[in-house]
Amino acid sequence: MISDARTLPDGTVIQADFCIVGAGAAGISLALGLSRSGYRIVLLEAGGEKEEAEAQALYEGRVVNPALHSPADSYRQRRFGGTTTIWGGRCVPFDPLDFEARPYVPHSGWPIGYEEIARYYPQANRLCEAGVFDYHSETAFTRPLKPMIPGFDQRHFTTDTLERFSCPTDFHVRYHEKLSAPNIQILLHANLTRIALSADGNRVTEVEARTLSGNSLSVKATCFVLCAGGLETVRLLLANRDVHGQGIGNLHDVVGRYYMCHIAGTMGGLRFSIPPESIWNGYDISDEGIYCRRRLALRPEVQRHEHVGSFVARLHHPRITDPSHGNGILSALYCAKPFISYEYAKRLFEDEPLSWQDWYRHLKNVALGVPDIMGFAWHMLRDRKLAARKFPSVIIKSRAGLYSLDFHAEQMPDPMSRVGLTHEKDRLGMQKIEIDWRYMSQDVHTVKRSLALLKQDIAESGVGSFDYDPQSVEKEMIRYGAYGGHHIGTVRMGTSPRTSVTNSDCRVHGVANLYLAGSGVFPTSSQANPTLTIVALSLRLADHLQSLDFSGT
Amino acid sequence: MKHTVLVLGAGGYVGRKLMSALARCEDMQPTAGLHRSSAVTDYASVCFDATDQAELEKHISGFDVVVNCVGSDPTVMLHSTYALLRAAQASTPLIVHFSSMAVYGSSCGLVDEKAPLRGDTGAYANAKVETERFMASYARRVVLRPGCIYGPGSPAWSSRIARLLQARRLGDLGAAGDGIANLVHVDDVAAAVIAAIRQPQCEGEVFNLAMKNPPTWNDYFICFAKALGAVPVRRIGERTLKAESRIVAPFLKVCEIIGRKLPFSFDLPPFFSSALLSLFRQDITLVSDKAERALGLQWRNLEESLREVAAFEGRPG
Repeated sequence: MISDARTLPDGTVIQADFCIVGAGAAGISLALGLSRSGYRIVLLEAGGEKEEAEAQALYEGRVVNPALHSPADSYRQRRFGGTTTIWGGRCVPFDPLDFEARPYVPHSGWPIGYEEIARYYPQANRLCEAGVFDYHSETAFTRPLKPMIPGFDQRHFTTDTLERFSCPTDFHVRYHEKLSAPNIQILLHANLTRIALSADGNRVTEVEARTLSGNSLSVKATCFVLCAGGLETVRLLLANRDVHGQGIGNLHDVVGRYYMCHIAGTMGGLRFSIPPESIWNGYDISDEGIYCRRRLALRPEVQRHEHVGSFVARLHHPRITDPSHGNGILSALYCAKPFISYEYAKRLFEDEPLSWQDWYRHLKNVALGVPDIMGFAWHMLRDRKLAARKFPSVIIKSRAGLYSLDFHAEQMPDPMSRVGLTHEKDRLGMQKIEIDWRYMSQDVHTVKRSLALLKQDIAESGVGSFDYDPQSVEKEMIRYGAYGGHHIGTVRMGTSPRTSVTNSDCRVHGVANLYLAGSGVFPTSSQANPTLTIVALSLRLADHLQSLDFSGT
Repeated sequence: MKHTVLVLGAGGYVGRKLMSALARCEDMQPTAGLHRSSAVTDYASVCFDATDQAELEKHISGFDVVVNCVGSDPTVMLHSTYALLRAAQASTPLIVHFSSMAVYGSSCGLVDEKAPLRGDTGAYANAKVETERFMASYARRVVLRPGCIYGPGSPAWSSRIARLLQARRLGDLGAAGDGIANLVHVDDVAAAVIAAIRQPQCEGEVFNLAMKNPPTWNDYFICFAKALGAVPVRRIGERTLKAESRIVAPFLKVCEIIGRKLPFSFDLPPFFSSALLSLFRQDITLVSDKAERALGLQWRNLEESLREVAAFEGRPG
């Protein structure tokens, strides 16, 4: 049953077995995982069925260094479906190495092993609609694939791993019907404002939610799970200080720390000496119809040897803003940037406005590239705009064998990179968040070393050259700041309350019936996009919650 | 001693497969009951109107068993079942009556034989409920409620689906294909009939027939498409499905009706109605434990069977 909290009488009290806060990837997956349990589930969602400016405004906050991090209300959606309503759909599992305590990655090591998550990846893959759980090009395809780079000696990097693409699945639209089960009550426009603890602070007794229309409700449940995302969960924990003086689960000042996104950027120039048509930088479609893409992934044994984090790279088109690429399609995209959403247009903006000469060159590229632009527009209309499974991204094949390198790297956990609260309050009286995202020299080392190894592999394979300025690596990796939308590690899981917020079951240390789900609980970030693992962890949590004995509570 | 078995509706898909299976049994002596003499079979047959009580009375006498798998037209099903029950009063043969999972109508969740009969999804479902109601008055009966019967040449659940998959008009339907495909292989259906005849203790019982751990419709379509080589599977959006059920299906239905009145025949592309789309969404799982236990059934493996079906459809399997 889906209803609007604004229509409930003020002061309504709802009883449930499980109260889930947040209907995004984590909350919806968790509710689906619990749906057949027979338990009564209440799912509180702060937004409505569509994006609403006044709801979205409740996400506003302060960013300490706006050059390094996007605004607090961007890249996340306060609405039914959460950020799955705008995500790109890239699904990648974490690697076994990501779960290990690595001496060269400070604060690394998950309290659970890869196998714990791996059990749930196939089901997570299904929920994300990314096909079968097989991320190796040799086994995922029944037909031989064209090599990505023929003759490339995969010494430090492998081109055999895949990323799979979801439709991208909007969890609200896709699972709306399944969530209409009689034992699930979804309340829209219900903004959590208070988490009430027992006097000893060991249990949540109820939560209170308010709507922007002014009415309030409370939910009394056996168990509560916050699935509000890596930023909002921090706010909810820190803002509730009436029993735990520093915020719930924050006795040791860990909540909000270790904040990670990913380190990403576009770098250098790859010039292939092999025939340009032999290079494959596009998507392969699996039998089930899933868009899959191979990439250059730094091998785990190399990561260990070189003491670097995980790193992947893709063959990419040249930087769009620079008209010297001479490509009409890229220049047309640049000219169309006012019509592209902030989240996807970020890389189309430079620090300095373009000169009129550059604008002229862009327009010239467009004029000369009209046939290509028409073909591209038709492809995007048919295969992206109108298609139910959307072509995932812009792929430009270089006729000259020239590419840039688009990389995506693990960010290491750093307690100084953190999310906290400001004194400023939102319309509901909740303190706003303050984001102080930072990166470390080890992050720069990961990117620098990986690029150097790739340069070496390309050169030694005799397939071409990779040229970049090693001095500009740091500048390029933070050109667009922290990778948007990946809010990781702020309520990390671990074995000790001194260094983590939840235990291995995602339960907040010291609070018997409060659980957290989402990428906030990841102790490390991997190179992988977080959604698939968020879903897998939520399904694991659903199984755990069903295994608990709540009799007598 | 052999069981003499008359199969009513032996010209249909299930009837033909059943005749073939019965003929392979040493303890069965099947006879095909046909509506039209044109529906020639390799077996002994009789031709008559199964809705005519007098004709039925004449033809069923001497048979130990009558299997009723007459047609899909609701009126014919009702009339023939009614006539059969009246005709059977004299010789009281065992009647194995083909009902359908349609009797459960719009029910959801796990559904066993004790679930209420709703029949609320159309005339066919309602007629099946009615025929079961008639049948309840007859003691020597076994009622079978199969799910979606697939197998090589199955018009509804194999051939039609194959054509739609090959035309990329079916595929991964997203939420519209999340329902459960309660599939049952036609050989398993035939095995159920034979077991029911052989085991007198089954008289008076009702059995659901559907494979264990059935796939979703999406999984069925994807698995079948792979077996057919109809890949990559297309994702079909809600808009396209609406157009199929609201524009394409009515248009083709009208063509079909007109086509029946024409002196020549032509082949129309398959279509799916909004009722079928509702079935693809329906989260209903037939529980067939009773059939496994009492009839000793072991369901055919879906993937292997689909390879066989795909080969039959003339595509790489």
